[in-house]
Amino acid sequence: MKADVLVIGGGIQGCATAFHLARRGVSVIVVEKDYAGRHASGVNAGGVRLLGRDMAEVPLSKMSMEMWQSLDEELGHETGFRRQALINIAVNEVDLDTLRAREDKMRAAGYTHERIIDRTELIGRLPHVNPECVGGVISELDGYAIPYKATAAFRRAAETLGAQVIEGEEVLGLRRIGNTWLAQGRKQRYEAETVVNCAGAWADRIALMIGDNVPLSHAAPMLMITARMPHFAKPVVGAVSRQLSFKQFENGTVLIGGGAKGFADRANDRTRLDYSKLAAACRTAAEFFPIMRKASINRMWAGLEAYMPDNLPVIGPAVNAARAFHAFGFSAHGFQMGPVVGQVMADLVTGGQSRFDLSPLRIDRFDRKVL
Amino acid sequence: MFRSLQDHNRDRVTLTINGQQVAAREGQTVWSAMAVSGQVETRKAALSGDARSAYCAMGVCFECMVNIDGLPNQQACLRRVSEGMNVTTQHIAEDSEASDAGL
Amino acid sequence: MQAFDCAIVGAGPAGMSAAIVLARAGVQVAVLDRAPRAGGQVFRSAANSPVPDVAALGSDYSSGAALISRFEESGAAHFAGADAWHLGDDGRILFSHEGDTRELRCREMLLCPGAMERPMPIPGWTKPGVMTAGAAQVMLKSDAVVAEGAVFAGSGPLLYLIVAQYLRLGVPVAALVDTTPRRHYFDAAPQMFRALGHIRQLSKGLSLLREIRASGVAVHQFAERLEVIGGNKAEGVRFVATGKHHEIAADTVFLHHGVQPNLNMTRAMDLDHHWNPEQMCWQVSVDDFGQSSIAHVSVAGDSAGIVGADGAQAAGRLVALNILNRLGHLSQVERDQKADKDLSYLSSLKPFRRFIDCLYHPTDALRLPRDPETLVCRCEEQSLDDLRKGFEQGARDPNALKSLTRCGMGPCQGRQCGHVVAGLLAKWRGENPETVGYYRLRSPQRLLTLDELSRYGAVQAEAAE
Repeated sequence: MKADVLVIGGGIQGCATAFHLARRGVSVIVVEKDYAGRHASGVNAGGVRLLGRDMAEVPLSKMSMEMWQSLDEELGHETGFRRQALINIAVNEVDLDTLRAREDKMRAAGYTHERIIDRTELIGRLPHVNPECVGGVISELDGYAIPYKATAAFRRAAETLGAQVIEGEEVLGLRRIGNTWLAQGRKQRYEAETVVNCAGAWADRIALMIGDNVPLSHAAPMLMITARMPHFAKPVVGAVSRQLSFKQFENGTVLIGGGAKGFADRANDRTRLDYSKLAAACRTAAEFFPIMRKASINRMWAGLEAYMPDNLPVIGPAVNAARAFHAFGFSAHGFQMGPVVGQVMADLVTGGQSRFDLSPLRIDRFDRKVL
Repeated sequence: MFRSLQDHNRDRVTLTINGQQVAAREGQTVWSAMAVSGQVETRKAALSGDARSAYCAMGVCFECMVNIDGLPNQQACLRRVSEGMNVTTQHIAEDSEASDAGL
Repeated sequence: MQAFDCAIVGAGPAGMSAAIVLARAGVQVAVLDRAPRAGGQVFRSAANSPVPDVAALGSDYSSGAALISRFEESGAAHFAGADAWHLGDDGRILFSHEGDTRELRCREMLLCPGAMERPMPIPGWTKPGVMTAGAAQVMLKSDAVVAEGAVFAGSGPLLYLIVAQYLRLGVPVAALVDTTPRRHYFDAAPQMFRALGHIRQLSKGLSLLREIRASGVAVHQFAERLEVIGGNKAEGVRFVATGKHHEIAADTVFLHHGVQPNLNMTRAMDLDHHWNPEQMCWQVSVDDFGQSSIAHVSVAGDSAGIVGADGAQAAGRLVALNILNRLGHLSQVERDQKADKDLSYLSSLKPFRRFIDCLYHPTDALRLPRDPETLVCRCEEQSLDDLRKGFEQGARDPNALKSLTRCGMGPCQGRQCGHVVAGLLAKWRGENPETVGYYRLRSPQRLLTLDELSRYGAVQAEAAE
């Protein structure tokens, strides 16, 4: 099969890239080794979070947040996006100091979307919170979406515009011959002028085929979801210094994350859960929100996710090959960036540059460092 | 109509099902105590609000989830009655609000 | 944390039989089962029946009492009321016991999760008052509770058995609505000759039907287009039989059209499964000795293919012999010698099983919903129409469909909708269910209170101190 661009990986980054390319009339094929949205993009916590981003990501994340607000209309499909304030809870003065230092830094850079709240406002917004909490920080622009739905929405919108998504197709080899990339898949061969590596937890393998080395690691962040509960928390909740993260969806189910990691068996596409850590996450949730003690956990799972040593993604051109680009390594916070990454990748592919400063995200940023 | 083939004089446990005092035999399942007392509605479906009742009675359908002593999602067919137990039909809709704010 | 040579999950006929063999050979064996007393579904309360006239339940049921007492005297450690919710291929088992999560380790693991009834998504099947025939059995066996004036509808030996049991106990039955299609009798006839070796079972089945007919209960054969009628509860059934429309009033309707393996435990463990086209269900893939695709994990009984109580006992003993061999208690030659009788018994069961599977083959009309509004997923209230829309939106895989529609995401974890979804996707894709696959399942296999799990690590830490 032939196309202008071959996107490797049918997660949200790959599908969003395909959507933006197809919209510009570029012919694009997405190959996905399982099914679109099978891994991190389909099974993550669905956080659409701007709060607490690394400074290097803030401009991209802010742009993406704007895009999320009207994404359903843009794609013509539901992503499940709901705008909902995100609050990181402070439990003591030390936490508040951390927040104030962050606030100074953000203000200096001209950002105003994060705001410190006091105990009264915290309890006003989260009446069920443990009253010993002292305050927190809020971002009103944040929200959440349904991960699989959002990924599927990009995929379907891309397909409507002519992109082809080939599922169950693993890329086994990549070669550049003249001005053409030849990709050998398990099922068939592909030819394209440009390749885009959006292969998530497997992106280091694709990078290697392209010619770039990258210190990517993978892990299995764990999540739990409860049976429906009466609504007790509208905002999405995190904590400044504790492993707490949960959100109560509109349907009443509560998703509990917090970053605890299970065991990642990438070779077999499998993850295992670490129940002791999940138990600790339950204790934390119940400590912050005593009402959670009555929750019934319905499912627990983990997804395979790619991590970079500095927890920042790789976004940009390949360094050792022409007409190849990377977007991976989002380190468990890439879902929110999907919309903007699609646009950035389309900019890079079609025009060779982006209006964002991508230098902190370049693939060779670790080359001279001892890790 | 459900009925017990056993002698009711040997029912020793008293529990409350949706406000109704019910006598039951020690070791009996909560579901069968509900069935015999004519209280077969175990829960309301979350989306439609339709009444539901036990379907499999062996723990695989999760239709008989009731609220027992304030704890939701208890499978009535697996739980056994105990003295003073308070059982209520479970109704957690998508728009239910938690009442006991600020515990 | 306790350690055992072998841990058996499920104290039904397979698990008990295996435990007896193992414990008698001096193996340290733990048996976990959710029920307060051993027996499984088929021998539930057989040793302590609350039914005043227990003989009415039949001699097969009563025979369970002897097995239960042999098991209870075997020396196996029986964890009654233990609900296993995580089984690791590292030999670790987490289970709920009296509100706390406990843990044990074992060298060999034997899973005997048994069978459950095949869901029957006919119109109205979610109304209160609609239960399975197995539910009628459970209520009768464990609590001596019966429903008077109920309609029994569907097909298969279990359905006829419970009707006969009711009649023997003097419980009035409104009607038996038999959905076994006429053509199945023709299809099964050749199989019957091959099954003549099991004449006792064959005649038992026939005598049940004779008994029901002799009682004067209305029996409607070859029923089609079965549905439950009523408003917010069941008020009866409606169907077509031999060209005529029928309506029968009843406040309780018991449905049945066969059983299928109860797979959540084995699926969550990621054992290999395959589709059985005769029984129209998934089953665990095992060898003759119940060895699964994961080392030191064996499976016996109905979850590795429906074999019934006698077959399950034989399968349990075979697995036990294999485990004895692996633990060094038996040589392979000894194992094979001792296995001979049960192996031949199981293979002799096959023609009988084939006859039953052919005669009572689940029909598409009852296996798959026909009305767009009929719910497939009872928990998340997803109808046939909802699923079709999801499929049309590109969700061709059961897991993709689950992510898109929430079908299978509720507390039953797909137990009720899993086979239906696989069947529907197979039909829509024009492929077989084996290709379509099944839900990815995970621990816990049922709702676990956050309070219980939150104490898990704390219990561990205390033990370490």
